[in-house]
Formats: sequence, C-alpha cells, structure tokens
Amino acid sequence: MIKGVAAVAWVLAANSWLMTQSAPPPKSSNGISVNQDSLTIQDFSKRVDEYVKLRKRMEAGLPAPKSKSSSADLKQYQASLAQKISAERSQAKPGDIFTPAVSALFRKLIAMPFKSGHGSKIRASLRHAEPVRGLSPAINQQYPQTVALQSTPPTLLSDLPKLPAEIEYRIVGRELILLDSAAGLVVDLLPDALPAPQPGP
Amino acid sequence: MRLRVLIFLSCIVLAGGVVRTDPGQTTSVPIHARVETLLSLFTPPALAAPPTPDLQLKLPLNPNSVRFAVIGDSGTGDLPQLQVAQEMEAYRQIVSFSFVIMLGDNIYGGDRPRDFARKFEEPYKPLLDAGVKFYASLGNHDNPDERLYKLFNMGGKRYYSFKKNDVAFFALDSTYMNPEQLNWVEEQLRNSTAAWKICYFHHPLYSDGKYHGPDLDLRSTLVPLFQKYGVNVVFSGHEHVYERLKPQNDIDYFVLGNSGELRYHNLRPSDQMQAGFDTDRDFMLVEIDADQLYFQTISRTGLTVDSGVLQRQSKSAGQEKTQN
Repeated sequence: MIKGVAAVAWVLAANSWLMTQSAPPPKSSNGISVNQDSLTIQDFSKRVDEYVKLRKRMEAGLPAPKSKSSSADLKQYQASLAQKISAERSQAKPGDIFTPAVSALFRKLIAMPFKSGHGSKIRASLRHAEPVRGLSPAINQQYPQTVALQSTPPTLLSDLPKLPAEIEYRIVGRELILLDSAAGLVVDLLPDALPAPQPGP
Repeated sequence: MRLRVLIFLSCIVLAGGVVRTDPGQTTSVPIHARVETLLSLFTPPALAAPPTPDLQLKLPLNPNSVRFAVIGDSGTGDLPQLQVAQEMEAYRQIVSFSFVIMLGDNIYGGDRPRDFARKFEEPYKPLLDAGVKFYASLGNHDNPDERLYKLFNMGGKRYYSFKKNDVAFFALDSTYMNPEQLNWVEEQLRNSTAAWKICYFHHPLYSDGKYHGPDLDLRSTLVPLFQKYGVNVVFSGHEHVYERLKPQNDIDYFVLGNSGELRYHNLRPSDQMQAGFDTDRDFMLVEIDADQLYFQTISRTGLTVDSGVLQRQSKSAGQEKTQN
C-alpha cells in the first residue's frame, strides 16, 4: 500500500516537473512567444516612453533651446522645464518605472559584467570617475549643479536597455538613476543596483 | 575691524574651509595651494601677474599650418585660470592660433550666467574678442546643457566633429559613452579621409596621475576603434596635471587637466610617461604642418615645460621623434 502511494506521488512529481520544463514561454502583447526578460524590458521601455510623452507635452509650451543659446537662456529653459515636469509628476514615486520585476532584471544585468573577466576594469573605472558620495537622490529632485556627474562605464551602458535621447542612466553611490539630462531631473531610481564593493585586501 | 575680518578669513582658508574641493571628496590641499587661493581672494584681476615679456616660441609657424591651443579643467574662475588665459593671449599675438579645444570641466560648480561670465567669458575675453573659437567637450563637472552654449561651438551636440584643413577633430563625451555614441565614433572615424585624426574628451585612457588614474573600461572600449581607424593623437583632461605618454599602440596621448585646477605633485612617473608637469597650471600650443605635429606646453608663468614634434604615424610602422 505504502509503495503504491509512493509510486503515485513520484509519478505526480515527475509529471509536474515535466510540465514546468515544457511550459510554453510567455507571450508578448502581439502574441509572439518570448522569454520573460524580454517582456520585462518591453514593460520598462513602455514606462519610459510614457515619461517621454509627458515630457514632450511639457516641453511644447517652452521656447525651444537653440544650439547657440546664451547662458541665461539655458538656465531659464532648464528651470522652466524641470518645474513643469515635476508639477505634472507630483505623484511620481520610486518604482514607477523600476517596477519590482524591472528592478530584479536590472540588478541581474548589471551584475553580469562585474562577474566576468571585465569586472575589475569596470570597478576601476567607477573608482576613477569621482564617485558621488553623500547624495541621496529623490524623484523630481534636480541633480545638484555643484555635484559632479559620475561617468557610467561603457560596458554597463552596452548591457542595459536602450533609452531615448532625453534620459540617461547615471550612477550615484550604488544607485542607478534615470536622469532627464536637459531638465536635470531624477525620473526614477534603483537602489543597490551595483554590486557591493569588494572588500580590500 | 577690517584687519580682524581679513585674519579670520585667512585662518579659514589656510585651514581648508574655503578651498573648493571636489564634491563628496575629502581632498587634502597643500598649504601652498591654500596660500595661493588666499592671495587670489584679495587680488583683483587687474593686478594679476603680467605674461612673460620674452616668449620662447618652439613652433615653426609655417605658412598654412593648422594652429590651435589646448586647455583642460579650466573653469574655476580663480586667478590662476586668468593668468593662464593671459599667457595664452600673449602667445596668440605671435602664433595666431584661431581656435582652442577644451578637454572638459569647462565650468566648475554652479552654472548660472554669472558663472559662465566669471569662469569663461571674462578670462578668455581677449581671445574671444580676437575671434578665437572655443570647441568644448564635456567633463564630469559640466552641465550637459553646455552643449547649447553658443561660445562652446558644440552645435547642440554632446559629441561632434569638425575639420581644419587636413586635420579632423572628434570631440567626445566620455562621461556617457553609450552604444549610440560608439556607433557614431566608429562611423565618423571610418568615413574620415583626413590626414590627421585627433580625438579629445575628458577622461584619460592612460594616465600616471595618482588621484584618478586611467579609465580602463573606457580604454578597452575606445582603443580598438582608435587603432582600427588610424587615430593619431588623443587629448584628455580630468587629471589635474600635465602628462605626455609614450605612444601606446602607435597613438600619442596627452593629459592636460591643469589649465585652472591643479593637484600638486600628483604624478607617479612610470615607464609609460614621456614627460610630466604637476607644479603649476599650463596650456598647450599645437601646430600641424603636413606630417608634423609641433607642440609646446607653457605654464602660467611662461615656462615651457614640454615641447617637441610628432611625426604622423604611418599606421603600418609608426615613428615618433621628440625633442625637449
């Protein structure tokens, strides 16, 4: 009797395992079967595009910056754009774009090159690029003019989803922020995006 | 009362309280740098040290050559920047260079209109008045919107190229070397038929500076392109010293990040260093004529700290001759 129950349980477990192995991949909105990461990136890009649409609406009411502007024109434009966007996004909160699924995927994408043979070069680049310390970025906050922008290593940029020209990936400590470069505004942020520094020898 | 205020301010500066350091950093500033900053607080621009009367020119000034100046990490608005600018103007009157390339950190700190005036327009007014054009690249202390500032001639772009006779210049944004920019660099270099290809950007690929050191990730990304498409010379800043490196993979590299900022005694000489200078600010003059590139690096007191001539590398067998 016991042997019979065990056999049935084994068959059920094996069947369940086979089901997971042969389960069809999720489908995108247009019905094409893709891997889960691809869907997550699609969701991220959609959220970014929504931001860019909002931004373009805000920008529409402002005099377009020219390639030969005076310093006063530039300052005025940046302040006005930042003010309009942050007013329109007053309810924005961390995670609006970096959803839990997007956050998990980004951490995975960022960790990969660090684990590769290239990891030491990326760490060196981060150390040599004047790491930003003591800054706690917040949504709708303007990046302080007096704080240097840490350069984002090219290897990381090549591994992350492409962004529209209006937005950049920037690093603050171990956080990854989405920065609206013309407005100087923090759009969203991902805490603990970068792996913790390796302990010194 | 006034004397007391002066003494109080002096104590703050000498203690390091007023000396601007990089945000978030705890940089130790040497005492002589603090004294210099203190003096600059009380020295009106009109009393700035005059340029050296007897200029020691090392350039041949051949007819129809391309002549330009190089500055990096210049935008402090402090007295030393002004003195370098005065030295530049003194040399311009002889060399007649028509443009300046800027290696980033063009405007430190705030970017209000008065910052642009104090850290760029006023120091370089004689050059600007003489019609000299400045072509900027962006550093980590620059607001990316500087690309729209008319006097930086960036055409609204963070990375761009321009050509003077048979010399092509590629100004890159090393703070954000994304795949789009890399594709652009590759296409531009591949399509360029110029005899000389010169790239300039803020972060150095090779450096013996102790404070930052080279950007290794950027190096492994850019050097293969530079080699493949025959880049001849690369200029960078960021490290607040001057350094000329031995050719690396047949490409000549210069670091010049001390046209306004300075980190005293910050070079750690190595086998790759050809020449270095880390005790004062400087700028560089360059003249390109046919297959020769002549250079002269001049301190703010008029001292020639490095000079020589580079032979244009035939990419199959690069040759370089220098003289000091």
